[in-house]
Amino acid sequence: MSSGNGAAMRETENHFDVVVVGGGIAGLQSALDLADQDYRVLVVEKQPSIGGRMISLSKVFPTLDCASCITTPKMSAAAHHSNITLMTYTTVDAIEPAGDNHRLTLTQMARYVDTSACIGCRQCEYVCPVEYPDPFEQGMGALRAISVPFANAIPQYAVLNPEYCIGCGACVRACASDAIRLDQQPKTLTVEAGAVVLATGFHLNSTSLKPQYNASRSKDIVSPLQVERLLAPHGPYGRVLRPSDGKIPDSVAFVLCAGSRDQSIGVPYCSRVCCMYSIKQAMLLSGALPTADITIYYMDIRAFGKGFEQFYQNAKAMGISFVKGKVARITPQPNGDLMARVEAIEEDGRVMENRHDLVVLAQGIVPELVSPERLGAAKEEDGFIRRPDPLRPAWTGREGIFVAGTAAGPKDIVDSIMEAGSAAMEASHYLTQKRATADANAPSLELEVIGAASE
Amino acid sequence: MSEQKKSSNPKTESQKPRIGVYICRCGGNISDVVNTDALAGKVKQLGDVAACRVETFMCSDPGQATIVEDIQKQNLNRVVVASCSPFLHELTFRTVVQRGGLNPFLYEHVNIREQDSWAHKHDPVGATSKALRMINAAVGKLHHAEPLERIRMGNHRQTLVVGGGIAGLKTAAELAGKGVPVILVEQSSSLGGRVALLARTFPREDEGSVLAKKLIAQVTDHPLVRIFTRARIERVSGFIGNFDVKIAFEPKPDASASSDPQGAGHSANAAEVYASVGTIIVATGADPYKPARGEYGFGEQPAVVSLADFLRQLATLPNGNFIWNGKRVRNVGFLHCVGSRQVEGVNPPQADGKINDYCSRYCCTAILQQALTLKMRFPDVNVFDFYQDIRTYGGHEDYYTKSSAAGVVFLRYHAEEPPVVEPGENGSALKVRVKDYLTFGEEVEVPLDLLVLGVGLVAHDIPELIDLLKLPVGADRFLQEVHPKLRPVETAVNGVLLAGTAQAPMNIEETLSAAGAAAVKAAIPLSRDAVELDPFVAEVNAEKCNGCERCLTECAYTGALFKETVQVDGESAVKARVNPGLCFGCGACVAVCPTRAIDLKGWTLDQFDAMIDGLVEAVPVEG
Ligand SMILES: Cc1cc2nc3c(=O)[nH]c(=O)nc-3n(C[C@H](O)[C@H](O)[C@H](O)COP(=O)(O)OP(=O)(O)OC[C@H]3O[C@@H](n4cnc5c(N)ncnc54)[C@H](O)[C@@H]3O)c2cc1C
Ligand code: SF4
Ligand code: SF4
Repeated sequence: MSSGNGAAMRETENHFDVVVVGGGIAGLQSALDLADQDYRVLVVEKQPSIGGRMISLSKVFPTLDCASCITTPKMSAAAHHSNITLMTYTTVDAIEPAGDNHRLTLTQMARYVDTSACIGCRQCEYVCPVEYPDPFEQGMGALRAISVPFANAIPQYAVLNPEYCIGCGACVRACASDAIRLDQQPKTLTVEAGAVVLATGFHLNSTSLKPQYNASRSKDIVSPLQVERLLAPHGPYGRVLRPSDGKIPDSVAFVLCAGSRDQSIGVPYCSRVCCMYSIKQAMLLSGALPTADITIYYMDIRAFGKGFEQFYQNAKAMGISFVKGKVARITPQPNGDLMARVEAIEEDGRVMENRHDLVVLAQGIVPELVSPERLGAAKEEDGFIRRPDPLRPAWTGREGIFVAGTAAGPKDIVDSIMEAGSAAMEASHYLTQKRATADANAPSLELEVIGAASE
Repeated sequence: MSEQKKSSNPKTESQKPRIGVYICRCGGNISDVVNTDALAGKVKQLGDVAACRVETFMCSDPGQATIVEDIQKQNLNRVVVASCSPFLHELTFRTVVQRGGLNPFLYEHVNIREQDSWAHKHDPVGATSKALRMINAAVGKLHHAEPLERIRMGNHRQTLVVGGGIAGLKTAAELAGKGVPVILVEQSSSLGGRVALLARTFPREDEGSVLAKKLIAQVTDHPLVRIFTRARIERVSGFIGNFDVKIAFEPKPDASASSDPQGAGHSANAAEVYASVGTIIVATGADPYKPARGEYGFGEQPAVVSLADFLRQLATLPNGNFIWNGKRVRNVGFLHCVGSRQVEGVNPPQADGKINDYCSRYCCTAILQQALTLKMRFPDVNVFDFYQDIRTYGGHEDYYTKSSAAGVVFLRYHAEEPPVVEPGENGSALKVRVKDYLTFGEEVEVPLDLLVLGVGLVAHDIPELIDLLKLPVGADRFLQEVHPKLRPVETAVNGVLLAGTAQAPMNIEETLSAAGAAAVKAAIPLSRDAVELDPFVAEVNAEKCNGCERCLTECAYTGALFKETVQVDGESAVKARVNPGLCFGCGACVAVCPTRAIDLKGWTLDQFDAMIDGLVEAVPVEG
């Protein structure tokens, strides 16, 4: 099973045409578009697996394709590409100019597993006695202290979490390949790159930013990423249950703009995807729970992309109820019910108290990368990576450094992929210019012009 | 020009078939309906099946690794994967099989998701037995499979870009910068498209004409770009790597046109141009929706204008009082979604009988940008905004926040009850009657001096190009990509790509990103000397061919089949032959050949027979 762990980085190899920072959908698409033009590309990913957020989603709007079915082939194509090298569980800490190249400082975190020996057989995982809340399942399932991160992770190497490891040594004994290294240390490396694509992605802001929603007081006030896992066919429970007591919910509410469009929480912008993913989740929930009532509380439904408006209209036709209103407060009741206090704008501004047993807060999208300055870029007021030239939306304004996907602002998968292609194009354009010398084989235009028009 | 590679495969068809069959649960998409374990039990009993496994995600890395390992350890020489649509993963698995050391065409893909588990959700038993029949057919087909080689053809390493708006200009600039020669064809006499006409663009308030000029400057003087204006594509033939294009010109309107500063001079001397290109980018753009006469008073009430006209005029007005057509204006209305988000039975259909049910994406932001500009420049003007949803997504929200703060009055209507525009009373030009759902659904009347219609975008009408390039068109009349996430800028025609608003409504920034994405997909195939095509083309067995020429009459693709005179036993005879680059593998010729002399590689008549046998003979799976 060790195939597919990518071209292993040769110790001596420290120069690449392009380094892509971040192995989410945007980073992978940029890497593939560059590698297909025969550039040598290194993808550096902080998590133990590539795939980014998208690999943990259930199905994706507006086509309702299964997210794994779209992401895994791209992950796999990158892993098997002869021009792509993957480094996972590694962060890019700094990018500095080095001549007309860039020098990147990387930290490879300790996996406590020798990746040249691990074959991903999971024997260690089966014998490990400790479990902790599975981050991939948004804390809803359990993961062993040593384990392959999730079923379709790439690469398929085990990772040990030292926070939970009790040092019993069971895994060491079980590993037939002798791959476990309890004394492994993080490593600092430097590589050089002709160009860089930053695709560092996003995370969601906290559900407890708005104290009036009381997310800390009930397990059933959930994040949309939890719902993605609940809806995933191979998710933590295998079906949709509410986390607190395993009850099948019969009334689910979505609160839109719960972490966006609000100056007071530092997110004045709109997060662009939450309307659509909430509608998607509502549709999928109504398939999984045919008798449940599903309500979406919204200010504006922003269904603006190709096929989005039609998707929204389908959701309405399916019986999902859309209520234009501000949710002032969510109060957990002693019996576990959640009371939502809503000012229903379209119903005479009446204040309603609605009972739900699962509430999803559409959190805001914020940049994962906190200090783009350290990676050779600058940030906008909103914290996302700055792109000063209106004609080059993939360029950071710094020589040879480009940006793709949600690192430059919230956006959906299609838009992330488009930008990734655009960043790859800009980078290859840049590299061509940099290398341009008087070349005897320089291309020239071939065409045949016949006749003279009215002149 | 075709250059067939000899098979270099060690594991050949001469060996007895050892077939591996892999069944995917698709994380439940399949296994929730099809009993995959029972299915595997039955499959194992089929002739020559040497291995059969079930995996949660066959396409995942562990899934792929299983296939590679089995090929090597168990000496498999043919593989079947039963999973989702071949459209998604046939290529994935061919590559896997190749990694295992087999010819990638000794592979069959069975779609037990779209064609089975999703289609027969309520009949698990039936679905399971259908899956078995489908797999049995694939196994039968593989018995007759032969290793095939992709067809390698020469490659004209240059691109044709159709459309000289910002999408076309951006693709040309990027490709030329990367060293790819570009021929850019624009039907009008100037470059820059719609953006060149915009006074201010959001979100940075750049002047549209300045943006356009900068892009135009990047391409007009570039040695690798050749621009033809007042030009159109008259003929296209061929396929990726080898499109032959003829460009023709509109007669020159008058002599002064050649002095057009935006590059029209380039076409001054040409009557026709012929070129061979490897890839084609369609960047023909979109048009603002043109309201019908009388739609919200348009064309009947002079005080009703479209957004495009409004922003052009606003930019030229002096500060002070807001004077429009000689009259002082105090109350201005903006109406969203004109020509967009239409509802069946409420909005009259368009010329093709369909409504525009999509959102045009750019207009909410464009409207609020204008509303805000108006408020800032003429603070005493009252601005009323009639909307359904304010879609100022992302950072555009700023325009909404600022417009609200500046005192723009918002009124929300429902699509089913669009506002009604009537002649005004008491000195105002118009009055708008609307049920405002922000004030409890009460009907209100708003007197206005000017109403700006926030028109959407509609696909540019390009029937000839659609026909020439066989472009797929969506229900919304925009050009259709293969798959929004897997292949978002590619069309069903290999080598023909989409850039910008020809594909869907977009704003400037999004258009430029889309153009970059199209450019990279145009550059990739041109980075090699040759293009490789799938081998599923017709092949004539010259011995069986009696020269009746029926196939030639039947073939719909120019040049795909031709006749050839050959010497047989000292006498000359006419035989049919195939140009593999031009053959689409449709099989029409196969059907009419009276001597079974033509077969499609990878889809031979023997294989069809075997598949039919396989479908009818399988025993249903119990339970
Ligand atoms: C609940 C939810 C549902 C959604 N549903 C949909 C949907 O149905 N359809 C749709 O189109 N969109 C959907 N989206 C949006 C979609 O998730 C994003 O558009 C997409 O994942 C963005 O991809 P990305 O590559 O830009 O970012 P990410 O997926 O975040 O990838 C960035 C990667 O970079 C890595 N990284 C960050 N910093 C560093 C560093 N310093 N060094 C190395 N690596 C680093 C991260 O670990 C991560 O793997 C949804 C979003 C959410 C929150
Ligand atoms: S996308 Fe919708 S839910 Fe998200 S912030 Fe924007 S308006 Fe609110
Ligand atoms: S962007 Fe706004 S105005 Fe334009 S169609 Fe969409 S909702 Fe209507």
